[in-house]
Amino acid sequence: MCRRAHVLGLDQVVKLSSTMHAMKVVVCVKQIPDPADPGALDPETRTLKRDVKLILDESDSYGVEMALQLVEAAGEGEVTLVSMAPNNERSGLATALAMGAASATLVSDPALVGTDALTTAKILAATIKDQGADLVIAGSESSDGYTGTVPEQIAAVLDLPSVTAAKSVEVDGSNILVKRQTDAGYDSIICPMPAVISVTAGVVEPRYPSFKGIMAAKSKPVEEKLAADLGFEEDQVGWSGSGQEIVEVAEAPTREAGDIIEDDGEAHVKIVEFLESLKVI
Amino acid sequence: MYQWSDEHNMLRQAMKDFIAKELVPIRDELEHGNLPPYGLLRKLFATFGMDEMASASFEKRIAYDKAIEAGEVEPSEPKRGEGMDPAFSLIPTIELCRQSPGLVTAMGVSVGLTASAINSKGTIAQRERWVPQLQTMEKIGAWAITEPNSGSDAFGSMLASARRDGDEYVLNGSKTFITNGPYADTIVFICKLDEGNDRKDRKVLSFVLDAGMDGLVQSKPLRKMGMHSSPTGELFLNDVRVGRDRLIGESEEVKKGGRDGAKSTFQQERSGVAAMSLGIIEECLDLSVAYAKDREQFGQRIGDFQLIQQKLAMMEVARMNVQNLVFRTIELAAANTAMTFAEACAMKLYSAQQATAVALEAVQLHGGNGYMAEYHVEQLARDAKVLQIYAGTDEIQTVAIAKDLLK
Ligand SMILES: Cc1cc2nc3c(=O)[nH]c(=O)nc-3n(C[C@H](O)[C@H](O)[C@H](O)COP(=O)(O)OP(=O)(O)OC[C@H]3O[C@@H](n4cnc5c(N)ncnc54)[C@H](O)[C@@H]3O)c2cc1C
Ligand SMILES: Cc1cc2nc3c(=O)[nH]c(=O)nc-3n(C[C@H](O)[C@H](O)[C@H](O)COP(=O)(O)OP(=O)(O)OC[C@H]3O[C@@H](n4cnc5c(N)ncnc54)[C@H](O)[C@@H]3O)c2cc1C
Repeated sequence: MCRRAHVLGLDQVVKLSSTMHAMKVVVCVKQIPDPADPGALDPETRTLKRDVKLILDESDSYGVEMALQLVEAAGEGEVTLVSMAPNNERSGLATALAMGAASATLVSDPALVGTDALTTAKILAATIKDQGADLVIAGSESSDGYTGTVPEQIAAVLDLPSVTAAKSVEVDGSNILVKRQTDAGYDSIICPMPAVISVTAGVVEPRYPSFKGIMAAKSKPVEEKLAADLGFEEDQVGWSGSGQEIVEVAEAPTREAGDIIEDDGEAHVKIVEFLESLKVI
Repeated sequence: MYQWSDEHNMLRQAMKDFIAKELVPIRDELEHGNLPPYGLLRKLFATFGMDEMASASFEKRIAYDKAIEAGEVEPSEPKRGEGMDPAFSLIPTIELCRQSPGLVTAMGVSVGLTASAINSKGTIAQRERWVPQLQTMEKIGAWAITEPNSGSDAFGSMLASARRDGDEYVLNGSKTFITNGPYADTIVFICKLDEGNDRKDRKVLSFVLDAGMDGLVQSKPLRKMGMHSSPTGELFLNDVRVGRDRLIGESEEVKKGGRDGAKSTFQQERSGVAAMSLGIIEECLDLSVAYAKDREQFGQRIGDFQLIQQKLAMMEVARMNVQNLVFRTIELAAANTAMTFAEACAMKLYSAQQATAVALEAVQLHGGNGYMAEYHVEQLARDAKVLQIYAGTDEIQTVAIAKDLLK
């Protein structure tokens, strides 16, 4: 996915004196039904009902925090938000604005019901395109839809380099240095800006919105757009524009009860036999 | 119609998250160990920028008051809706009280009583000297009026005294049940000026003391029934010498002999108690509903028994009423008005009684578990009781309400 990014060996990472420059970071934030009270699937469309109040996806609070830290480190610049959500939902945006983002663009349009991940990426890309961002940050995967494809699709649509699973990002002149999480540890990546990064959950500690931040959020600008404002025809979005369809939804299998081994003095033998049968030892 | 706004709900959620992450894991040490509450409170202030906001508003106010003193501006009444949304200061109280009401007692006495007492009656120099660190919780404050033989009759039986000695005063006396007493950096000491006259005619003066002054002893925390996360202690003053710079207002000529200052402090305390009660009631109700749905006896959940349903309904009625009283104080504060003294007494009396009644019913509904420290209602029932005793007992509130009706 990192077409223009170079994977460096660890020893090649040299810290260059970073030159300060105003950073403009756009963060994609998804507003989702509260996972503590997720509501139900619509049996007809087999998608999550979204008529409840939506909140900021926790996965995206890490992106917001990382963006705020990057702008603070640069000393100058701002964080703006983009979100596509039903029913003109703003609650999740309000949370991210209270954390410190400066403004937001919200794409909300009844025509967008049924939009799949690729079209979502196209809509978001069209929103981001003219913002002059140095960096676009998204979560690695949302907590509800979970496809983990939107960030790379945004990068492809905008023809920008993309780094996934970032655990830390540092600006170095016109490049970013990214530590990319892997099974074994991390890759160190140097990548030119502008770029799209997806951030792994838990890598930074999202700040609490402060008293001042909460009070200020109300008066921060949120620009609302319809699909048509972004140049999309009705048949390009929503159910008709989707290249994918959810054909079946099944219950997750319930966990089976485990075997209980009573310790009659020989339990260790049985445990070893069991582990051998699984070929884990 | 007043309701919690989206901003209020956002703040409540953020407070809940902070409390779950920072307070709940150390609650046992705060309640049953020797961990003082101040570290956590400072963290709360810094995290939500409450310290920064308090400093900014203090500086603005001081600059304004200096300009008035210099004759540069005319004093004017503050405009409606100016300043911080009053709900923002009550929400932390409500949320903290769901877990550890003692934290609010410790915070309220330091920031609410002590800092306010100096800020409302002190000279500009005194306010600049003590208030900023108290408002940010960098320094801990105590406010001392109660004595072993002087509680409800705070002014009548007060023995603590100040004697003039040249340009200075010599202070003596014992204070007890003093919140933050064991750890306070800054103490407001309330006493009577001894001019050799009859004790009931003596002026009431307030002095600011710093920990470590010669002749001042701060006791260890006293053991008590509840509010364990709020340290309570005794103060002993033996010929403590202070200059006039420590006499609040730097004048012996305080309105109504100093009783006014203490009285306005009482009024503020009383609205705080309503918010504390709401937190306790909300938590007890939530825990009780969950338990009533979960616990089974006689082959059914206990929530199906009408006697249990009655308890839940009574708790809900209390929650609604106390929440409405809290909303009323917010609306009045936003409009820059306040309840009458008798109304504030009525609110404090009702809220405190309901908090205690609800918490005890919550213990009852939990059966044996409710009596065990493992279940949170046990702590809340012990904590709630003091709301009927401090900041003026139930009986004293009742007397004040009746006095106002019959005047
Ligand atoms: C099982 C299932 C059910 C679905 N149900 C519905 C439904 O009921 N209604 C409906 O409208 N869609 C539904 N979708 C579609 C899905 O929500 C969209 O495709 C979604 O916008 C993008 O997919 P994702 O959540 O998997 O994103 P991912 O690729 O997992 O998200 C990664 C990151 O991309 C960014 N991002 C993703 N979506 C948005 C967005 N909308 N706004 C801003 N940033 C975003 C965020 O930063 C996010 O952390 C469903 C999809 C699936 C697979
Ligand atoms: C946890 C805790 C923290 C405290 N923190 C502080 C603090 O920070 N600073 C401080 O100065 N004080 C503090 N106090 C003291 C508190 O304000 C007093 O305990 C309270 O005012 C009652 O006074 P008392 O204890 O002397 O009771 P008393 O006045 O002796 O009352 C005993 C009983 O007689 C009743 N009674 C008294 N007078 C009348 C009357 N006229 N009519 C009818 N009944 C009457 C009372 O209601 C009560 O039931 C604290 C107390 C506690 C328990």
